[in-house]
Amino acid sequence: MKKTFDLIAAPTGMQPGGYVPVVYSDRAGAKTPSASLEVEHSTRGWRFRIAWPCPDPVRETGAESDRFPDAAAVLVPSVADAPWVTMGAPGQPIAGFLWRADRETLYGVRAEGLGTVQRDEAKGVRRLASEWSAGEWSLAFEVAGWKELEETRQLAIAVWRGSERERAGLKSISPGWIGVET
Amino acid sequence: MGDIRESQRGRRQLAMVLDLNKCLGCQTCTVACKKLWNKDSGSDYAYWNSVETQPGRGYPAEWRETGGRDREGSVKRGEIPNIDDAYGRAWNFDHQKTFESSGRPAKQKEWLRPDSNPKWGANWDEDRGAGEYPGNNHYFYLPRLCNHCTHPACLDACPRKSIYKREQDGIVLVDQDRCHGYRFCVEACPYKKVYFDYERQVANKCIFCLPRIEAGVPMACARQCPGRLRFVGYRDDPEGPIWKLVDEWKVALPLHPEYGLAPNVFYVPPMSPPQLDARGRPTGEPRIPLAYLESLFGDSVGGALETIVAEREKRRRGEPSELMDLLIAYDWNRNFALGPKDAEVAIG
Repeated sequence: MKKTFDLIAAPTGMQPGGYVPVVYSDRAGAKTPSASLEVEHSTRGWRFRIAWPCPDPVRETGAESDRFPDAAAVLVPSVADAPWVTMGAPGQPIAGFLWRADRETLYGVRAEGLGTVQRDEAKGVRRLASEWSAGEWSLAFEVAGWKELEETRQLAIAVWRGSERERAGLKSISPGWIGVET
Repeated sequence: MGDIRESQRGRRQLAMVLDLNKCLGCQTCTVACKKLWNKDSGSDYAYWNSVETQPGRGYPAEWRETGGRDREGSVKRGEIPNIDDAYGRAWNFDHQKTFESSGRPAKQKEWLRPDSNPKWGANWDEDRGAGEYPGNNHYFYLPRLCNHCTHPACLDACPRKSIYKREQDGIVLVDQDRCHGYRFCVEACPYKKVYFDYERQVANKCIFCLPRIEAGVPMACARQCPGRLRFVGYRDDPEGPIWKLVDEWKVALPLHPEYGLAPNVFYVPPMSPPQLDARGRPTGEPRIPLAYLESLFGDSVGGALETIVAEREKRRRGEPSELMDLLIAYDWNRNFALGPKDAEVAIG
């Protein structure tokens, strides 16, 4: 399966706390306008390749107080059509993988609503490549088995542009769950 | 200021008062804090406690302009200070090189200097102040630390609820196991007293020396202060120094109360000698303009200064003054009201 789609800005008005919804309410449009996604399913598992435009890559944050790395995530609902824009809900978790340009390995992430993300070192996933070239990031990774994806056939992606100081709920996201046809 | 006992019923709030008339700018508090809590390389630039010269740009530079509250107390977009331009990158000195050159002729000596080219630092504009010598030049020292606000902007800003305020003492803490290093807290705090550990990728801040407090021992910054200018206690203790200075005598004021966060660090504002006219005669006008102090501590500064001056005059006349005795810290034990181990600080 190969798809290209427009991304939308994650709504800041619903972000937790009293700060982000107020001071980032003027964010108009996704900082990363689009992404392409390739998904292959075989007996070896799932293989993903995501690509998105990024004119000014941030690969590392170093000894700095105000730098944020480029990042991307692939998320899958535990049950079909779980709330996607809120990153799941209590009792309806979502789970997936988070790549950050400043790390060698991927995080495994799990959430049951905004502000609840738990992350740890990903298991059963292998990063194949993460390359920036000609204004575009390309990320490829392989997951040995993904039961929820096999059941729901839905996934969502999120992209953070470090040069725009995107992190947490400041991100570009797919406009809903993407149906996976393989 | 409302009745704190009413507004915080059911919980306590630890607080601190700093008498700016006694601060020497010696940075002993800064060093005591830094050595105790904050030596990791990822926060080498960060000073939970700093002492800055005011008027001045402060630390981080221009912190009043980059916080997440405006002068009406409304939330506004803050900034994350840059480590080079605003905090100042920590540097090293090559003491060995300097030492080895000490026997050489003067022109060949190596002076002790930073091994990099810093642009700013925690005490960069020390003693510069404002005004013109000798007529109205002035400055004072402003020690700053986390205010452990009643309504913390950092707590409100964290989307992960990684920052919390303890019920038993109101100390504001970062749960670094929950923190993902998003730094909205750094952005939002108008006092710029939350920092980012760039190695561990988490926020950190003053913990009001929590383990010491739980043992009944004052914070390192307060305990080590040679000027005895810091007072520590609970806001609801009418026998303690905080209540007496903040609520009874009303001479200790919060920094930037207009932000609306109800800070729990208070300052006795600095008095200053009179300005001189062109012929060198005192004008009667204080060197530190009242308007400037009001811009820091609010409209109650004038009344606080009048009270201090009046009590000082009483003492000069040989009359008793509880306020002066407390501020002078004749009995250092009275600076701290924490618990049975207060006696540890007894001297002489």
